[in-house]
Amino acid sequence: MSYAGGNRGGTEAIVAAEALRAEQRTVHQRTLSVEAVLGALPEAVDRVMGEAGLWDEETAAVAFLQAAGDSAEAVHLLRAHRSTLTRFAFSEPIEPDAIVLDRRICSAHRSPDGPQLLGSTVDYSPRLLRRSGEPDPLPPNDELLAAMASAEARTSAEHPDRTPQRFTRYLAENNLLSPHSESGVDASGLEDPEPYDLALQPVRLPASRSALLSAMALAETGALVGMWYRSITGPDGYTDETVTVGEVRHGEVDLSVRHPHTGEALVIGQVRMTECEAIDHLNDRGEDPGKFTAGYGLALGHNERKAISMAALDSAAHRIRGTALGDEMEQSIMLTLDGLAANGFLEHLKMPHYVTFRSMMERAEAAQAVAVPPVSTEDDTREDYAE
Amino acid sequence: MSTAAILDKLDHDAGARQNSPRPTVMDEQGKREVRRASLAAVAIPGHQVPFGSREMPVARGWGSGGLQVTLAVGGEDDTVKVIDQGDEEGVNAVNLRRLIRGALGCAGTGDTREATIVQSRHRIPEDRMRVGQTLVLQVPVSEPLRKVEKSVLECQRMHAEADYSRIWVAMYEELAVGGMITTGASYPVMVNHRYLMAPSPIPRWDIPRLNHSEHLTILCHGRDKKIYAVPPHTPVAPVVFDDVPFEVEHTPGSRCELCGSEDTYLVPVQGGNFLCSDVEWCSRVRHRDVDAVEHAALAPQQYYPDAARRQSLRTIGVSDPDRQALTVGGAQAQTALGPDGTRQEWSLKVSGLTKVYPGSWGSSEVVAAADVSFDVAPSEALGIIGESGSGKSTVMRCIIGDETASAGEVRLAGLEDGRRNVFDLDLSARRRLRIGTLAVVYQDPSHGLDMGISAGGNIAERLTAAGWRKYHEIRSRAAALLERVEVPLDRMDDVVGQFSGGMRQRVQIAKALATDPKVLLLDEPTTGLDASVAAGVLDLLRELLAERNIAVVVVSHDFSVVRALTDRAMVMHRGQVVETGLTDQLFADPHQAYTQRLVAAARS
Repeated sequence: MSYAGGNRGGTEAIVAAEALRAEQRTVHQRTLSVEAVLGALPEAVDRVMGEAGLWDEETAAVAFLQAAGDSAEAVHLLRAHRSTLTRFAFSEPIEPDAIVLDRRICSAHRSPDGPQLLGSTVDYSPRLLRRSGEPDPLPPNDELLAAMASAEARTSAEHPDRTPQRFTRYLAENNLLSPHSESGVDASGLEDPEPYDLALQPVRLPASRSALLSAMALAETGALVGMWYRSITGPDGYTDETVTVGEVRHGEVDLSVRHPHTGEALVIGQVRMTECEAIDHLNDRGEDPGKFTAGYGLALGHNERKAISMAALDSAAHRIRGTALGDEMEQSIMLTLDGLAANGFLEHLKMPHYVTFRSMMERAEAAQAVAVPPVSTEDDTREDYAE
Repeated sequence: MSTAAILDKLDHDAGARQNSPRPTVMDEQGKREVRRASLAAVAIPGHQVPFGSREMPVARGWGSGGLQVTLAVGGEDDTVKVIDQGDEEGVNAVNLRRLIRGALGCAGTGDTREATIVQSRHRIPEDRMRVGQTLVLQVPVSEPLRKVEKSVLECQRMHAEADYSRIWVAMYEELAVGGMITTGASYPVMVNHRYLMAPSPIPRWDIPRLNHSEHLTILCHGRDKKIYAVPPHTPVAPVVFDDVPFEVEHTPGSRCELCGSEDTYLVPVQGGNFLCSDVEWCSRVRHRDVDAVEHAALAPQQYYPDAARRQSLRTIGVSDPDRQALTVGGAQAQTALGPDGTRQEWSLKVSGLTKVYPGSWGSSEVVAAADVSFDVAPSEALGIIGESGSGKSTVMRCIIGDETASAGEVRLAGLEDGRRNVFDLDLSARRRLRIGTLAVVYQDPSHGLDMGISAGGNIAERLTAAGWRKYHEIRSRAAALLERVEVPLDRMDDVVGQFSGGMRQRVQIAKALATDPKVLLLDEPTTGLDASVAAGVLDLLRELLAERNIAVVVVSHDFSVVRALTDRAMVMHRGQVVETGLTDQLFADPHQAYTQRLVAAARS
């Protein structure tokens, strides 16, 4: 390898590195099919689609496989792929209340309208490693067996197929929802008639609510969760831990576009999505403590972590809009959460930089030549100041 | 039991375990560490004990702390009850009970009376817990100061010094602005009259049950790696002003639609109805298996909210006694005691104060103050005058404690009769001095005030730090002070950040005088204000000083300010005192060329 010696790959070494990777990849592809990835690793595929901003499960699985399970790399592949696609149409706004639910949780109410539909989740299972061939480390005990038996004995209740009332509607009916949350109007007063599309438009500050929501929907999931968590436990927190989840939903919605000639809305397919409403009491100074506010989060596929952190941050962003802290937060959301940007900038550090570094070195050497030591810095006197 | 029998039993138990192996959720070393931390927590009630919280098979936030405690203190012989929101069937409760029973091999129960350990999220059982039982509460936020202070280090300092005035100010602000406290669950409590504690988010309804309880309560926050405890028979009190009633959650006329209870913690269900949150209690009420009389006595009915009592909280008024307290000898003269037991003449004495800033790359060593000495008597005002960079503000900051002096002494009559050098005190003791002994008015009001809270709240901060605990007294005293400094009382509840510069300075002066300090330091009190506004503040200061037996140091670059306020003055130049004398004499007949320039500037 000539890379280490000359710190410049050379065409030959670059081609060899790519070939080595391609060889390993063929091994993977022989043992693991796209179907197997879709079947066994759906959460990974969903996350990649959400961060890429592209709904195509099969293509996302191909990317995930080609990236050897590196989700950042898979997102990169999909985003680059998206640039190759022509936009034929823009979809109509989806109707979240027409969702076909897989899962729905309302934490804020003991018995909300509609079911607490737990769906498929690991939330309630002990996280104990289970190797194949070994027995269940925590087999059902008498209590669970009894519960299972009584569940079998009971004829399962039929529920009409309808969308349960949103928790924000419940709050509104009880006159507890802030006018802003009820109307969904951007608190900054910025015009926001059309959703801001970050795939086609640059980031601009101040950002409208739809731009903030777009940036969070596309955000690297870990970065978004990290920002939310920092905002709670960090030294500069701008939200608190009193957010309550009014809704978490996962399900499928129809996607429709207008026919170019007839102008009619036609359903062209379905996407799965995760939605969240985060409820917060308006009990800061200057707010109306008789009301609650609601933040909104939506992620492609099944990604509750993203939807919940997004909703909590949306709520915080609107509560502190227009303050210095709010401006900082807005910039952080718009400019620091995109995985492709952050990872790309990090990757660039691995490129040769010896021209610029040479320039810095020359300045360091020049500084040594002109250096004037600090005046009178005897160490024995310094100790007195360090009390 | 014979040794052989014990060995037989051990073999038998081991055989039984072999047949139905239990999952190991936590290794023995980890359990021991949790037990040690729990004991430390019991030894210092309410104090957060850090421990090496292990990762559990449940998410951080799903009770990983409570689970560690139960696994560490529990064993095969225990009977464990696990509830979430008061319900055994909640997702968290089912999940954790399965893990606990599987890992400990212990019995489970829904009946509080049978349980040896109750692990709970968000509730204390309605039934009275008894001697020998342990309540393990899962904690999502262990730091009760978090809502008023984001810095972990500062929170630690506040706990160490029992400096909780910021919590009281937050309460004052809520009462003054909204007429009520808006904190829902997780209402802060004082444990054993010493530590402020977050009682896990149990509702306010449950807080009286922690007070002088018969059972042991261990609270654990797995994510933040903290354990704290309330041992049996420990006083636990919600943070509340002496004259403002604590309120629990209660909707008049509400009753459980299943069991009919009116004296339980009720949660809303569809159709405007309510249910008991404690499912076990609700079921036992229906089966007439409860001691209703005992429970009624335990229910916090004396704390039911009463809107009528809140009305007076927002009114602003100044009582005559408060007004008089401000003008009639608010501060008694106080002088130091000399070595021979005789009274000295000074309240503040500074000797040989020196401050040297060491050099570093790009900056050279600076002697900001060299061997500065002076003293000030009660009712006397001393001026320190000089240009910017002369060292006058450095002297001031060293006396206050904002900077550490390199050498010298500062003595206060209010501190051990002047026998103690202030510089020998630790930072905590120096901070305490500033509550009632030594007050400061800064040039920049944002250094002396919290711009995000009201004028009244800023004064309340000083008063609550000094131990005031009656809301109406605090409010009345704050109103009297604001009236005295001519801040319109209808602005008392506005945040100071909305005030003009002159108004902010008046609030700062009112705060500085709130606890009748014996020594007052004024650092460029009118610099930065318009000339006419500055003249008004100067007039006010002159009146206030004349009313009080207070020792004052005025630092200014402006001879006219020093002349308006002080009797004596010293002139500083490049860290040295170059001239001292009676202020009028210095002004009329300055000897040093530097002083002459300052006088000329003031006359122009």
